[in-house]
Amino acid sequence: MRARWQGAGAAGAVMGLLAVAALHHTTAHPGAAGPAFRFIDVAPDAGLTRVLLAGRPAKDHLLDSAGAGAAWLDFDRDGRLDLFLPNGWLLDGARIVERGRYALYRGLPDGTFRDVTDEAGVQGDGRWGSGAFVADYDGDGWPDIFVTTFGRNLLYRNLGNGRFEEVAARVGLESPGWNTGASFFDADGDGDLDLYVASYIDCTLESVLEAKPSLSWRGLEQVAFGPFGMKGAPDHFFRFEGGRYVDATSEAGLDDRALGFGFAVRTADIDDDGDLDIYVANDSDANYLYRNEGRGTFKEVGTWSGCALDGNGAAQAGMGVAMGDATGDGVWDIFVTNFSEDFSTLYRGLGRGAFEDASRELGVGQPTYRPLSWGTAFADLDNDGDLDIVIANGHIYPQVDRHPDVVGTYAQRNLLLENLGPGKAPMFRDATAEAGPGFEQVRSSRGVAAGDYDNDGDLDLLVTHTDQPPSLLRNDTAGGSWLTVVCEGPRGEINPIGTRVTVRVGDRTQWRDIASGDSYMSTHDPRPHFGLGAATKVDEVDVRWPDGTHSVRRDVEARQFLRIRKGS
Amino acid sequence: MKARRGYSAVIALGALVAIAMFFSAAPAAAQAGAPATPPEMVATYSALADAILAVKRTEADLVRSILAAAYAHGEVQLARAQRSIGAGDAAAARAAVEALAADVAQLATEGDAAVAQVRKRLLEGGHHHNSAGEAQGLYDEGFVVVTKAAKQKLLESSRAIGQMAGAAKADALGAEWQKVKAIYAGLMKPAK
Repeated sequence: MRARWQGAGAAGAVMGLLAVAALHHTTAHPGAAGPAFRFIDVAPDAGLTRVLLAGRPAKDHLLDSAGAGAAWLDFDRDGRLDLFLPNGWLLDGARIVERGRYALYRGLPDGTFRDVTDEAGVQGDGRWGSGAFVADYDGDGWPDIFVTTFGRNLLYRNLGNGRFEEVAARVGLESPGWNTGASFFDADGDGDLDLYVASYIDCTLESVLEAKPSLSWRGLEQVAFGPFGMKGAPDHFFRFEGGRYVDATSEAGLDDRALGFGFAVRTADIDDDGDLDIYVANDSDANYLYRNEGRGTFKEVGTWSGCALDGNGAAQAGMGVAMGDATGDGVWDIFVTNFSEDFSTLYRGLGRGAFEDASRELGVGQPTYRPLSWGTAFADLDNDGDLDIVIANGHIYPQVDRHPDVVGTYAQRNLLLENLGPGKAPMFRDATAEAGPGFEQVRSSRGVAAGDYDNDGDLDLLVTHTDQPPSLLRNDTAGGSWLTVVCEGPRGEINPIGTRVTVRVGDRTQWRDIASGDSYMSTHDPRPHFGLGAATKVDEVDVRWPDGTHSVRRDVEARQFLRIRKGS
Repeated sequence: MKARRGYSAVIALGALVAIAMFFSAAPAAAQAGAPATPPEMVATYSALADAILAVKRTEADLVRSILAAAYAHGEVQLARAQRSIGAGDAAAARAAVEALAADVAQLATEGDAAVAQVRKRLLEGGHHHNSAGEAQGLYDEGFVVVTKAAKQKLLESSRAIGQMAGAAKADALGAEWQKVKAIYAGLMKPAK
C-alpha cells in the first residue's frame, strides 16, 4: 500500500510536495488566526422537527437510553440528499404512551426538507426503531431502507415513485430481537447484497416495560440495570438467495459464540484482498473482526489482529465505529467509541489487516476519556485532505445530573477532533471549542451521519439525540477545495456498496469506500467526498467497482460532483 | 437463565430447611439464653464450604487444561509452520502461523469466545475466581490463571506472530514462541 506514495519522477515529486504543502496550509490550525471550523444547527429552520422518543425520562431500562441512528440517502434520485430517521417509543412506567413515527424528509433545492413520511409509507408500523441502513438490495436502481428495531425489523422497498412497501417478512429479514447495527455487503462475491445484523441484549418487551432502575451506581443512585448481568443476543448473517434473505450465520462461520452485546457494524475490505470483511463493535465485550476467507465464509481474527481489545488487553464498551485511512498511510484505521471514563480507541492499521491501539499517541485518548461516546465519523470537515473525527456524546443515566462532578452530566457536548496531518504529534487535537455554535450544544446525543445535504462541497453532520429532534450541523467552515464522486452502476443505480474511490493529487493519494452501515446505527452520505486543500485539479480519479473492474478519469477539475458510470 | 433458576431453587429449599431447623431449636435456645447456631447447620455449611472450595480448585484446573490445550495446539502449529517455511509452502505456512497466533491469543484470554461467554455468565452470577487479585489490579475480571501482565505480553506475542503470517521466518517465529513458552511456564507453575 505504501507504493501509492511513490512519485513517478522528479517533476512529479516536486508537484506532489507542493500539493501536500497546499493541502496542509489551507485552513487555520491551533494558534493560527481564527477557528478552523464553524458548524451551525439549522435543523429547526430546515424543517427537521421530529422528536425522537426514547422510553422513560429516568431511563429505567437500557433500551430507554439506546436512542436511534439516522441515514442519508437520495431516495428519489434527484441529486439531493434526503434523510430518514427511525424513532422509539415514549413510555410512562409500564404504559406505552406513544409509538414514535419515523420520518422521511425529502431534501429541497433551498436546503430545507419536506416531511414525506406519510406519502412514502414509512411511518414505522409502530415498531421501536434503532438503526437505519440504506442499500439497493433488489438491484432495481432505487435505494431501499432497512430499519433495525426492538422487535421485528422493517425493510422498506423503494418503488421508485416516491412510495415504499414494507417487505421484511416477505424477504426473511424480520428476525425478532433487539437488533442494532447492520451492514449490507456482498459477502460471497456473487453480485448481490448480503446482510450482517448485530444484536444487543436478549430480553422481552415485558421485561422492558416492567424495568425499574435497580443497579447501584457508585452507591449514589439507582440506575438502569445491565448490560452486565443480562444475556447477550446473537448476531445474524443473512445471505441473499433467489430474492430472499436466508439465515446463513453458522454456514458462514459467523456464530456469535461470545454472545457479545453488539452495537455497531462496518464492512470493508480491511485486509485489502478484494473481498469485504466485517467489524463489529461490542459493548463490554471484545470486538469482532471477521475476515472474509473467500466464497462468503469468515474467520474471527480480532484478538490477534489487534483490534478486539484496547492496548491494555481489556475489552471496552464499544458503541460506534468509524473506518478509513485517518493516519494517511494508505491502510485502514478503525475508531471505536466507548463508555465514559474510558477512552475511545483508534486502532492504527499496520497493513494486511493488523492493528495497534494508538489512541494516546495520536491524541484521541485524553479528550475522549470523560464523555460517553456513540456515533462517530471519519470525515474531512475542513477540506484540507485528511480525515477529522466527530463524536456524539451523552450519558445513559439521567441520574448522573445529581452528581455532575463525578462523570459530568447526562447531556454532554459533542467532540470534534481535528486531524493535523501526518507527521504532527499528536496527530489529533480537540477543536470542539472552536467549532462554532453547533458544537456548543449540550444534549444526550447518539447517532451521527455525515453528508453534504446542501451540495456545497463540505460535509454537514446530522446528530440524533434522545427525546429531542435531531440537530443538523451545517458546515460553514471556510475550508479548502473538494471533489465529490457519484458512482453509478451500469443501469444508473447509484453508489454500489463496496466500491472504492481513490483520488490522486501529485504524490498524495486519498481513498474512500461506499458502505451501508456505519457510525452508531447510521448511514453516511454514500457519495465519496474528498477535501483537496488548495488543489484546483485532481490528477486521477480511480473507481474500483465491487467486481474489481476500474473506471479512471484524469485531470479532473476540483469543486464538482463528478458522476462516473460503471463501464464508462 | 434456566440453570440459574435451578440453583436458586436449591438455595430456596436449603433456606426453608434451615428456617425449620432454627425454629425447632428455638425453644431450647430461648431457655439457655443467647442462641448458638445449630451444630447441624454449621456442619452442613462446613461441608458446603468444602464443596465450594473444591469447585474453585476444579475451576482452576479446568482453566489450566484449557491453557494446556491451547499451548499444545500452538506447539503443533509452530512445527507445521516451520516445516512449511522450510518446504517453501507459503500458503501452508501462513495458515499455520495464523493458527499459532490464534492459539497464543487464546492463552491470553483463557480460551476462545465461547469460554468468554461462560466467564461472562459466571461474573453475572457474582462469581469472581480471583476477587482479591482483581481488587489489586493483578487480574482482569473473571480470569483464573492468566494475570493482567501475562495477558498483555501474550497479546503482544499473538499480534507479532500474526503479523509474520505473510512472510514468516522460522527463527523469528521460534524466538517469539520462546517468549510465549516462558510466560506459559510461569503461569502453569503449581500454586504455593
